[in-house]
Amino acid sequence: MAMASAMDLSPPTFFLSGTSSSSSLRRLSSISVSSFRRHSTRRLQLLCQATAGTQPQSGLSESGSKLAARSGQDRLLKVPISKIRNFSIIAHIDHGKSTLADKLLQVTGTVQNRDMKEQFLDNMDLERERGITIKLQAARMRYVYEDTPYCLNLIDTPGHVDFSYEVSRSLAACEGALLVVDASQGVEAQTLANVYLALENNLEIIPVVNKIDLPGAEPEQVIREIEEVIGLDCSNAILCSAKEGIGITEILDAIVQRIPPPRDTAENPLRALIFDSYYDPYRGVIVYFRVIDGKVKKGDRIFFMASGKDYFADEIGVLSPNQIQVDELYAGEVGYISASIRSVADARVGDTITNYGRKAESSLPGYEEATPMVFCGLFPVDADQFPDLRDALEKLQLNDAALKFEPETSSAMGFGFRCGFLGLLHMEIVQTMCSNPSLLPQPGQRKSVEEPYVKIELLTPKEFIGALMELAQDRRGEFKEMKYIAENRASILYELPLAEMVGDFFDQLKSRTKGYASMEYSVIGYRESDLIKLDILINAELVEPLSTIVHRDKAYSVGRALTQKLKELIPRQMFKVPIQACIGTKVIASEALSAIRKDVLAKCYGGDISRKKKLLKKQAAGKKRMKAIGRVDVPQEAFMAVLKLEREVL
Amino acid sequence: MLKTTISPIFSSFTGKPKASRLIFQACKAVLEDTPPSARRNASTNLTMLHQGPPTSAYVHLPFCRKRCHYCDFPILALGSSSSSSNLYEEGKEDDPRITNYVNLVVREIKATRAGFDTKPNLETVFFGGGTPSLVPPKLVALILDTLSLDFGLSPDAEISMEMDPGTFGAQKLKELMDLGVNRVSLGVQAFQDELLKACGRAHGVSQVYEAIEFVKKCGVENWSMDLISSLPHQTLEMWEESLRLAIESQPNHVSVYDLQVEQGTKFGNVYTPGQSPLPSETQSAEFYKTASSMLRGAGYDHYEVSSYAKDGFKCKHNLIYWKNKPFYAFGLGSASYVGGLRFSRPRRLKEYTNYVTDLENGAANWCGNGNVDLKDVATDIVMLSFRTSKGLELKEFGEAFGREVVNSICKVYEPYVESGHIVCLDDMRREVMSDEFKTLIANDEMKIEDHVRYLRLRDPDGFLLSNELISLAFGVISP
Repeated sequence: MAMASAMDLSPPTFFLSGTSSSSSLRRLSSISVSSFRRHSTRRLQLLCQATAGTQPQSGLSESGSKLAARSGQDRLLKVPISKIRNFSIIAHIDHGKSTLADKLLQVTGTVQNRDMKEQFLDNMDLERERGITIKLQAARMRYVYEDTPYCLNLIDTPGHVDFSYEVSRSLAACEGALLVVDASQGVEAQTLANVYLALENNLEIIPVVNKIDLPGAEPEQVIREIEEVIGLDCSNAILCSAKEGIGITEILDAIVQRIPPPRDTAENPLRALIFDSYYDPYRGVIVYFRVIDGKVKKGDRIFFMASGKDYFADEIGVLSPNQIQVDELYAGEVGYISASIRSVADARVGDTITNYGRKAESSLPGYEEATPMVFCGLFPVDADQFPDLRDALEKLQLNDAALKFEPETSSAMGFGFRCGFLGLLHMEIVQTMCSNPSLLPQPGQRKSVEEPYVKIELLTPKEFIGALMELAQDRRGEFKEMKYIAENRASILYELPLAEMVGDFFDQLKSRTKGYASMEYSVIGYRESDLIKLDILINAELVEPLSTIVHRDKAYSVGRALTQKLKELIPRQMFKVPIQACIGTKVIASEALSAIRKDVLAKCYGGDISRKKKLLKKQAAGKKRMKAIGRVDVPQEAFMAVLKLEREVL
Repeated sequence: MLKTTISPIFSSFTGKPKASRLIFQACKAVLEDTPPSARRNASTNLTMLHQGPPTSAYVHLPFCRKRCHYCDFPILALGSSSSSSNLYEEGKEDDPRITNYVNLVVREIKATRAGFDTKPNLETVFFGGGTPSLVPPKLVALILDTLSLDFGLSPDAEISMEMDPGTFGAQKLKELMDLGVNRVSLGVQAFQDELLKACGRAHGVSQVYEAIEFVKKCGVENWSMDLISSLPHQTLEMWEESLRLAIESQPNHVSVYDLQVEQGTKFGNVYTPGQSPLPSETQSAEFYKTASSMLRGAGYDHYEVSSYAKDGFKCKHNLIYWKNKPFYAFGLGSASYVGGLRFSRPRRLKEYTNYVTDLENGAANWCGNGNVDLKDVATDIVMLSFRTSKGLELKEFGEAFGREVVNSICKVYEPYVESGHIVCLDDMRREVMSDEFKTLIANDEMKIEDHVRYLRLRDPDGFLLSNELISLAFGVISP
């Protein structure tokens, strides 16, 4: 696959001089041929820069982009460590990170115009569909500044708060970052969190105000906000419009000028930081890394210091943005390794790769074990599908080291799995905060119950402060602090139970502030809480999957809502069915489903039984889709809807 | 668990080459594969699956004066003009539409070459509709003659005809009886003019009384009255009145249908089941129970979900359906069951005409194509048996489809035996109590069918929920 992508990037004419049939040799020869053209390219690149300097709003001229494209062919060439710049882009969703990244790839000729897919970095279909970046990737670019070629590595960071650990590891692989802020929106909470992560990693931050071409743009105010909120010197902030191509060369120049080069530690024992990995069904796990110290060669026996696994590096290469094989990578460089690694758990983000024969003394700091914060039970509709579900989960786990699961049996749902996820998006659908409500000991058998708490920071225009405080208060939030970060915008700090935030908190935040507020959260630990288990009894049978753990104050309203919803969702049966919500043995809410009185086809239909039979078959199929709780058939939708409802009520 | 325990036996059936068109082969193939002990039951298997030549024929005569508001059958409305002059008398010019259609049916019968080794006489013939009584007797004679010639007609065959009040007089009925029609099914439906009008019937109550009079005058001993419950605006008082008047007219058979609101009918367009002016579900259930208790109180045996008969007057033809026995069918939209295959003829006259032509040319097949799927046979048997008061005979069913299925069905029904919706009977048809049934199920050593020979739906509570209960068994048979 890497071969194919390499071929895509190089025009076929370059291959003419190749004599060997081996693709990798052909690629080497193509490099030597293309390097011929370097001088002319460089001159024209300068020309192009001049043009861009005088007429920034015109963007790239047609001829300029062609020449840049040729320069892009040289990006595999080695440069001294002092000419390497590693950076990432910190931006809030929709503030234009992907567009800017695309533009950088285009201007440096890394991706040719004809290959340009919109938002190149978000290459998973799922990401493109949802417009968010989950899997980070990297891109190696070549940029010639003042006659000197530089190697720029853009390391992408995931945009969602669930992935703050991954973000921190990506940032740790860089020396600098572009802080991209929308000229009409201002600093958002998530951006802030990531900037702090970047500052913690001692990154040089270049403020970039994007979308200055939009009518609502207020770049001066946004610059002031960045200065006030983050405390960054914005005297040389860059104004740009990634969409219109304004300010792109300034950004590239600033990367070269202001971001420090990596330390030259190429002679030390190898230490490479893994900032991403994914599972390829044909090649095993592909690991993305930044070489911090030393060098790594194709064929080296490498050792993963946290997992303790060792493999032979079958293939190493760079991402540009497709995978292109190289023979060696040294300190400061960014690339990938394919080593027939069986599971991503063997090569987790944050782990340190070292040389098996010449191990580093210590691993790189910052590695953390993944601890699931959100759990859900996962059961197949049809018990026969249990092995399929297991296979599917195992495959998912190959690609997601943070996904944990173990078999679970439930009287109502049969065999399934209890799965643990890092956070909300990670799981996306289901909630339950205790690892399994049915395992919560009875009140007499426990001393206290604790639940995970989060600290949330809300950034909002001041007119929505009241609405947000009300929301946080409703969710058992404990007010901590409020400050104005700008004349019109406030930061509000709350601590509240994770369970209250799971579900529609974010949706509520958006709807109550017309989309203007943003939030960021981090888990701050466990606290004792007055939690109780709320059980649902259908026809006097306890339905474990419907049990929830709620705060005592909310038990009644949740119980009422649950029983009412279930009454709507469960079809009537051949007998009366009571539906109850209980705390222990005490019934706190109760509804009843009346019995079906008549379901008979007493019609004259002669010998033509086909239609009647079809009807009965449909009816039987309907029953099959339901779970039998004792004598009651409960449709799957009831379980799903109840989970949804819990989120609404809680 | 149930699913897995029964799937092997079915997979051994379905795994057979699907080429075998008729079930004889299918069964043979199965039997060759089964151990010798099972092979002893070969005859039972074949009896259960009823693969002999049919001895029953349904003939569809689709003509009506107008379509009733609830009707979704394939009918041909003649309009009132053709029938207004003198419906009670013969001798007027025949409607060419009827003549042409009957000729078509005759051609269809002639083109049907069964090719069975034996040719037993027909024991039952049923003229259904539509309103068969609109067809002139001499055309009925033509059909009966053709049937007799092609298949043979037993001298004591039951020959039924559906007749509507207002479409026949004493003379016509007499002529029909002379032709051999010996059972009349009279479509009364209700004894209230306003209800008859509201459902678009072409007759009123006075014609109902006249028709009953003709039937009695002509000495039709075996006659049935059809009634429909849950009509729009029907009250319990009206329903009780209809039942009382029906009983007073002393038919030997009563069919009580529950209004089914079908899509595409006038009722389907304007009414929603359970909502006014239709009775609520509870009222509707009450109507059903009232019919059951009043008619049984008057000496009728509730032998099928919607059928009641005095001793010796069950409808033999309908029993063929419910016993899953084969039958021929002729005419527009009619459904036959021959060689294990169900086949419905085209419901539109033009396509039906083409079908008959194709049949004559050998371009069409009269019994349908496809394979006999044993799961389908099993579900048919369950569905049809549970409609009757006899119920499902477990021994025979187990021998044909495997004892595991019987066990699974019993398990799934256990709660409903306990709740009284399902009745267990031993081979003497004495009720087996639910506690005993429970013990039998729990004990794997025991053969349930040695102790419980029949399962049936209780009248009326089980019958009222028959769809629910039957679909439970469907779920077991074809998971």
